[in-house]
Amino acid sequence: MEDMYIKPGNQEQGWNDPPQFSYGLQMAHRPQRNPLNKRAVASMSSGAGVLPTAPPSSNPMAPLMCGIAPPPLPAGPPPNAMATPPMHVGQMRSQRVADTSQSEPDMEAVMSVMNQALDACRSSVKGQVCNEVAKRLRLLEDGWRSGKLSLPVTRRMDTLSQELQSGNWDSADEIHRSLMVDHVTEVSQWMVGVKRLIAETRNLSPELLKPLQSLTRAVQESAEPVEDSVKPDQELELAQDPEPEL
Amino acid sequence: MSTYQEFIQQNEDRDGVRFSWNLWPSSRLEATRLVVPVSCLFTPLKERPSLPPVQYEPVLCSRANCKAVLNPLCQVDFRAKIWACNFCFQRNPFPPSYAGISEVNQPAELMPQFSTIEYIVQRGPSAPLIFLYVVDTCLEEEDLQALKESLQMSLSLLPPNALVGLITFGRMVQVHELTCEGIAKSYVFRGTKDLSAKQIQEMLGLTKPAAPGQQGRPVAPQEAAASCRFLQPVHRVDMNLTDLLGELQRDPWPVSQGKRPLRSTGVALSVAVGLLEGAFPNTGARVMLFIGGPPTQGPGMVVGDELKIPIRSWHDIQKDNARHLKKATKYYEALANRSAVNGHSIDIYACALDQTGLLEMKCLSNLTGGHIVMGDSFNTSLFKQTFQRVFSKDYNGDFRMAFGGVMEVKTSREVKVCGAIGPCVSLHSKGSSVSENEMGIGGTNQWKLCSLDPSTTLGVYFEVVNQHNAPVPQGGRGAIQFVTTYQHSNTQKRIRVTTIARNWADAQSQIQHIESSFDQEAAAVLMARLGVFRAESEEGPDVLRWLDRQLIRLCQKFGQFNKEDPASFRLSESLSLYPQFMFHLRRSPFLQVFNNSPDESSYYRHHFVRQDLTQSLIMIQPILYSYSFHGPPEPVLLDSSSILPDRILLMDTFFQLVICHGETIAQWRKAGYQEMPEYENFKQLLQAPLDDAQEILQTRFPMPRYIDTEHGGSQARFLLSKVNPSQTHNNLYAWGQETGAPILTDDVSLQVFMDHLKKLAVSSSS
Repeated sequence: MEDMYIKPGNQEQGWNDPPQFSYGLQMAHRPQRNPLNKRAVASMSSGAGVLPTAPPSSNPMAPLMCGIAPPPLPAGPPPNAMATPPMHVGQMRSQRVADTSQSEPDMEAVMSVMNQALDACRSSVKGQVCNEVAKRLRLLEDGWRSGKLSLPVTRRMDTLSQELQSGNWDSADEIHRSLMVDHVTEVSQWMVGVKRLIAETRNLSPELLKPLQSLTRAVQESAEPVEDSVKPDQELELAQDPEPEL
Repeated sequence: MSTYQEFIQQNEDRDGVRFSWNLWPSSRLEATRLVVPVSCLFTPLKERPSLPPVQYEPVLCSRANCKAVLNPLCQVDFRAKIWACNFCFQRNPFPPSYAGISEVNQPAELMPQFSTIEYIVQRGPSAPLIFLYVVDTCLEEEDLQALKESLQMSLSLLPPNALVGLITFGRMVQVHELTCEGIAKSYVFRGTKDLSAKQIQEMLGLTKPAAPGQQGRPVAPQEAAASCRFLQPVHRVDMNLTDLLGELQRDPWPVSQGKRPLRSTGVALSVAVGLLEGAFPNTGARVMLFIGGPPTQGPGMVVGDELKIPIRSWHDIQKDNARHLKKATKYYEALANRSAVNGHSIDIYACALDQTGLLEMKCLSNLTGGHIVMGDSFNTSLFKQTFQRVFSKDYNGDFRMAFGGVMEVKTSREVKVCGAIGPCVSLHSKGSSVSENEMGIGGTNQWKLCSLDPSTTLGVYFEVVNQHNAPVPQGGRGAIQFVTTYQHSNTQKRIRVTTIARNWADAQSQIQHIESSFDQEAAAVLMARLGVFRAESEEGPDVLRWLDRQLIRLCQKFGQFNKEDPASFRLSESLSLYPQFMFHLRRSPFLQVFNNSPDESSYYRHHFVRQDLTQSLIMIQPILYSYSFHGPPEPVLLDSSSILPDRILLMDTFFQLVICHGETIAQWRKAGYQEMPEYENFKQLLQAPLDDAQEILQTRFPMPRYIDTEHGGSQARFLLSKVNPSQTHNNLYAWGQETGAPILTDDVSLQVFMDHLKKLAVSSSS
């Protein structure tokens, strides 16, 4: 998944702008492992001018101002300084490799799910709302056709459509949210239509949903969907073993 | 000592409370002699994942002027089904539903582990959350675009049934009607004319003109919701509102050379407050104001539109040369108070390179519990992510925001409450537990917090009432109960009750016990809040003198020394850090305005008086960690001697995260050792502080600025300005050159400060 990343802040507009965390990373955040909340204590009562004695880490190479000595080579077990493992990095990298090797998701498949979902809504949802949604789905289709959408967006839309087909409303809604947070510039115009579509299909009776679900099978047979209708806990495995599911 | 530390930690985890003293002196005179008042930091809605709320109403003491809530400290006669109030000693029968209780079958609120308990009480229909966006359109194109996108994004983060509204302003103020169909309509107000609430409501068609005499009449929420075209459920209007936002244009009025755009912030806010006041009084609501510059016209203007006249500075204010300051402040204070009365909170998101008038407008957020966020541009990660985090959710998937909070403090007879400091207003409830002696916002035992979140923390100050000749008898305990009623973000009405007790101690015979019960971290923050509260109305130097005097008196009281012999001065472990907290506080931007604009000072103080203890203490004395080849990351002294060539330092000041590479490390990095496979350890050393910084960045609200620099780099000044200048250009030769980095400053160092403190503490004349 491309949804776990950190990108640098906007240094041109913001002075010392912090990096930006993707929605997925923010949501996956666990409690801090080693909160940095300790303070070193100076010995205050030990008389005036407690100049802290040069700690053991005082640098033996300090006088070497001309020509620097190299950093110490790791001798034996690596020092504990590096006990904090870099978060997610390995995982993210391998996933990125897997992702870039993927082909572009099938627009027709995504759009047919969306349109089928909209058709299912027509009988119970106000016509005007349906038309509004249709308008936005057209914007999505046009954008996709003309190549305005990036791969991360189309891939997440692909997953979203699969979740919609399978009736995983919460999951589809979560993907919509992640797209709004991470790619708002690209998706803001039409995403609200997809959002409404998710909300409306969620309320439909099982009867009305049947065509949408049967379409699911048809699509899966005709156009082999790309691998990743990923559940979060499967991510890791998939990343290491990018085998398309059939 | 460790037992007190455990006790303190346990109390914070369970009850969200940290007291300055954990044993209380038994008379008023002895309490005064302890210098630091009996007081506490209290986090009313501290997150308690292991505390499921109970689904019934609290049982109240039947005495009309007490009404304390049944709690584990009450004595219970299980056979007679009677409980004695531990505050007023009234004996109360249990309600009929408690007929089945016994020693082995106790309701939760009687069990000791439920000293904090939360009740879900549903009274009346639940009200949806309300968000009213008030958007400045006098922005640069890029900024406006970024802001529009953030606002569109936020519609996806709001709960579908939340009500949203949109007001935009520039030279004019537009209130947008939100409908699902037809043409977008808006009501336009002139930005120069102040209007009364009634006028605004009439113009917007919120009141029926037929009943002009009843302007104060509360409108039932449903009735108002049905009639209010300006605030509509997100799920109904999200498509149209997304389009409306997408089509927002910069303010069309031309701005000629040498002028500021005309920005009617004052009227826009007045309309927002009036709209909510008319449509949703006494319901939780959030006005979110987004501004890219100062108000330049109409009521509440902070600076004129002539660019050649700069916005007021501290210098102007001191010289009484800030023309609009008093009038604008008064205007916004009036709005803030109206908003607070109705339970509506106001956030300010100010993104601009110059000042935007936060000094004048801060009360809008400070009195209503709203957020203030200050950034350079809306097109920054700092703004975007901070804004996203306003809508963050807790472990239950509920928003970390609550509305309409009322915190009431009940005390046992020996204690009275002097006041509170935090994002609240007084409800002027003069109960028997209210002291004459005011500290902070006093004269009441009830405060309103229009908006609060799990980290919102109040400082609450008390006094011991008993006279010296009639002290509280030994062996007893004093008790305090906090009753916080609020609207949960899932719209339930809830009541959180925290009841705590502390032992009384005789300050003559048990002074050492009292001393070891001192929580120096809590005390530092509580004294700092008093200092910051004073700084709002007093001159800076006076506040510093006051703080100094308190510190000297505390050292005189608890230090061990021989008279007139500074070298003999010692402080026990429980007070050992306190002087250095005060040292750093004196240098902090909360008390020093030098190098800060009035807006920045307001911003820093705003956050200081609402965060919890851990965050507040970071603001007072930043955290400094060192990463090197000599061992695991370790905290080091916030001191210039800690700046060494073979270290990477990570400093957290709350508002900034600074990573500073030592000279040697920087050279190694420049030479590219981290790229060589055999120096993998160096690569990891470089990565470690980045990872730890990310951990902090992922949770901090608001997002801090992030500075990655190296020794000698211009940005290293952020580190240099915070460390204790133990080595300066003045004493460099005295110390030799091997350790640390000299700071070019004439500020006193902690060592000099301590020397003076000791001298004054042991002197018999001071």
